[in-house]
Amino acid sequence: MKHLPKHLRPRWRYVAVGIETWPDADLGRRAFQRALWYAAGNLIGDAGSADADLTLLSFSHGDGAGEAVIKVRHGHVAEARAAIACVSEVDGDPVGIHVRGISGTVRACEERYMRRADPLSTQRDVAFGDAERSAVVRGDACDVRVESGYVGAAAFDIE
Amino acid sequence: MYEAVHAHPDGDATVARHAATAARYGYEGVVVRTRDALDPAGEDGEPSSEAAALRDEYGVDVVDAVEIDADDATSASGAVGNYRSERTVVCLVGGGDGLNRFAVEEPRVDVLARPMDGRGDFNHVLAKAARDNGVHVEFDLGPLLRASGGGRVRALSDLRKLREIVAYYDAPHVVSANPRSHLELRAPRELVAAAEAVGFDPEWVGAGLRAWGEIAARNRERRSEAFIEPGVRRGRYEEDG
Repeated sequence: MKHLPKHLRPRWRYVAVGIETWPDADLGRRAFQRALWYAAGNLIGDAGSADADLTLLSFSHGDGAGEAVIKVRHGHVAEARAAIACVSEVDGDPVGIHVRGISGTVRACEERYMRRADPLSTQRDVAFGDAERSAVVRGDACDVRVESGYVGAAAFDIE
Repeated sequence: MYEAVHAHPDGDATVARHAATAARYGYEGVVVRTRDALDPAGEDGEPSSEAAALRDEYGVDVVDAVEIDADDATSASGAVGNYRSERTVVCLVGGGDGLNRFAVEEPRVDVLARPMDGRGDFNHVLAKAARDNGVHVEFDLGPLLRASGGGRVRALSDLRKLREIVAYYDAPHVVSANPRSHLELRAPRELVAAAEAVGFDPEWVGAGLRAWGEIAARNRERRSEAFIEPGVRRGRYEEDG
């Protein structure tokens, strides 16, 4: 179809979000998109979700950290932010989610808020509490394996 | 703005991880509700060495608190007496009519946490008592962010009822998402946006997030050596002759 004249094209905002999970979680793009739309549908209803759009433009995740760019219609960023805050789990994996920033173009969004080189994660044994446990260390963050799953710790706890 | 967190061993993240995440999200401080997670403040209100080290490391204020979860008002009363002199912020978990009533009538309690949980309810009598005794009523945004279905609908309608009563009587309030791990923590702007979507006034939610810091600052001042009673402090005096 012939594309719209410029003044009729919708205007977009591009929201950069940071994602955090436990290291064993495996998040897919489709699952994340579904969780996002579900959160929006449950919070602001079908009408609100249609207005906000919330299409995922880029997504990456691995080793407990990830990032995404979400397309939001201009003027509906507040609702979009609310819906993003309500994404608490994806396919049963709890996720931490945080809006890093909002840009008017995809390029600005990626240049400003996407981190090219995330600190690499390594698996090693750490002293936590009064026992030696295996942990996944990524920068300052350190997810310690315990009987019931993981405990989020930081470099401060294991030194 | 401050967030009041449940830390390991009650939650799934340590105080340090909560503090690191909160700093990244733009909070000024965290209030640690879990008693076993952080050393209590010193005799005259200065933060413990652990809290001071965390502050140096991450640049957020770490406040020691306690969350008293009692079965009835009698045992709650004993616990409040025990912890008031030890902890900077004292929260009492509501959730029953007797406990809610006890908490709002006890000036030594700083925060009535989760008053609408379980069979708890709130009314104008409690709101007036909370205002007169300076007890902050907590608005728990946890179900808004994490629950779904009918449970969430009930929690939201409870929040609305609580908001209408508390705002009418201008009783003090605090807002928190009750995060149990760093993954459940949300940045202040996200909390305000989510609360706005369910009818809260954004300014009012911001005030509720700041109130944690105000409680901590007031209690630290009260425990400092110079403090005698409200309005009276030991200061420096001119010497005669």
